[in-house]
Amino acid sequence: MKRSRLIGLLLLLPWLITFLVFWFFPLVFSLLAGFTDYSLLSRAGMEWIGWDNYRGLLADEDFHSALKNTFIFVIGSVPVTTVLALLMALLVSRRLPGRSLFRAGFFLPSITSMVVIALIFTNLYQRGGYVATLATMIGFVPPEHGFLYSSSTALYSIMAMDIWMSVGYYMLIFLAGLKAIPIELYEAARIQGASSTRQFFSITLPLLRPVALFIVVINSIKSFQVFVEIFVMTKGKFDTASMVYFIYDVGVTTAFQFGYASAAAYVLFLIVAAFAALQFLLLRRRQPIW
Amino acid sequence: MVTNRIHLVLRYVGLSAVLAVMVFPILWMFRVSLMPAGAAVGFGDLFSTGVTLTNFIDLFRQASIGRFLFNSVLVAVVVTVANAFFCFMVAYALARYRGLAGRIMFVTVIVVLMIPAHILIVPLYVLMLKMGMYDTYWALMLPWLVNPIGIFLVKQYLESIPPDMEDAARIDGAGELTILFRIVMPLCKPALAVLAIQVFFTNWNLFLFPYILTSSESLRTLPVALAHFQGHQAIDWQHLMAGSAVAVIPVLIAFGFLQRHIVSGITAGAVKQ
Repeated sequence: MKRSRLIGLLLLLPWLITFLVFWFFPLVFSLLAGFTDYSLLSRAGMEWIGWDNYRGLLADEDFHSALKNTFIFVIGSVPVTTVLALLMALLVSRRLPGRSLFRAGFFLPSITSMVVIALIFTNLYQRGGYVATLATMIGFVPPEHGFLYSSSTALYSIMAMDIWMSVGYYMLIFLAGLKAIPIELYEAARIQGASSTRQFFSITLPLLRPVALFIVVINSIKSFQVFVEIFVMTKGKFDTASMVYFIYDVGVTTAFQFGYASAAAYVLFLIVAAFAALQFLLLRRRQPIW
Repeated sequence: MVTNRIHLVLRYVGLSAVLAVMVFPILWMFRVSLMPAGAAVGFGDLFSTGVTLTNFIDLFRQASIGRFLFNSVLVAVVVTVANAFFCFMVAYALARYRGLAGRIMFVTVIVVLMIPAHILIVPLYVLMLKMGMYDTYWALMLPWLVNPIGIFLVKQYLESIPPDMEDAARIDGAGELTILFRIVMPLCKPALAVLAIQVFFTNWNLFLFPYILTSSESLRTLPVALAHFQGHQAIDWQHLMAGSAVAVIPVLIAFGFLQRHIVSGITAGAVKQ
């Protein structure tokens, strides 16, 4: 028994070490650093400055806009992604010849590298690119230099691309949810003469609620951390900088304000933690929540 | 009967329209990667210009894309293999040795699952600098050798396997390591396959951390190299898309073979009845 405990501990060691060194230590470090003026460039060494970084964030226009852009991104893209993913799942859920081809095609963007997708759309969105030309055809005039070079369209263009990219992934989760609904329910409904619209609203939708909620929460957590597409497509210009972009920008580019960036990271952490807590509650509950 | 036909046709029309939207940008990438450098990349040009492989040849000759490909493969393979072993070990310990320590570990795993990795940008950067690992392969691999989602996945699977076989082997005098790697690990193959696929895909496409934790050209993975190309004045769309194709083709091939596992990996855990 003693021996097997020892082995158990040995087995846990890889996780214990990586967790302590690469997760726990950095988390504590940046929590503390958030209360100092720690910076790579200052020679004086770091000084404890209390809540100054957080007060600074409150007054920082760039941080405000990063916060605003991130929330626009989450609030705008999560519901659209969820609805589209559900519609696509319904489209491919029936037995149809060629169904797996459609599924694979819909899923294709979500296994492609974000950097690659962002590069492709940088071209499609630019002046003379496909999206810009199509938009002109249907009467929407794109900004002079293309969609990514104007504050009024850049963020929304990135959001649209992001929805396009991730919708196939959530479609798969919806499909799994659809599969889990017992067929008997539909048979019973049909016998009683319920129309397919009625079946959708009385059976499919209520039973998919837990799945939909799960999708909304994980997609929100992911969307709060949007970075790569913004980095590649606009470098945070034209009012697109997200919170992670802000952290990256003040933390590890030219300024190296580690303390300030750490404080910003903890603000993000608190926001995401709230959503993560929600996820935890949902995962533990088996019953639909509403 | 006729309305059924119409329904079917409508469904296919809808499906094809969505498919076109989803696939076009990726097809566009491949088409542009095959266009002669310097040709226009606009509406209509896709069909009027010829097909050539010179962009790919240029990249392998001049831009050391072979090196980036090697880095991507190396990092993704090492991290994937390490995850398969380490997540399995941890999951086994958590699934079989119950007790206070085990429960604390499990809660830790769950908590870490929920921490956004992006808040580690600054501390990981500083840590790698201080440990002398900044701009080395270590920086690309070490933080990702074990992952909580993987531990969770394998643990759930292990709990569905009764421990009888292990006990029988123990009575026969097999050592713990033999039991672990010769008996239990093969049983976990389905879960480990799902884990390996997820880890491989994630790491193949990873951008932010490889980007900030390295600076030399020789350590760039494909996504990092592509982001650097983009800032380059001399690189045109044709070469950029050829580079992108190099990053995407392995993923497409893998997806073709592993589709079923990928789908089951994504839906595992998402839908619980």
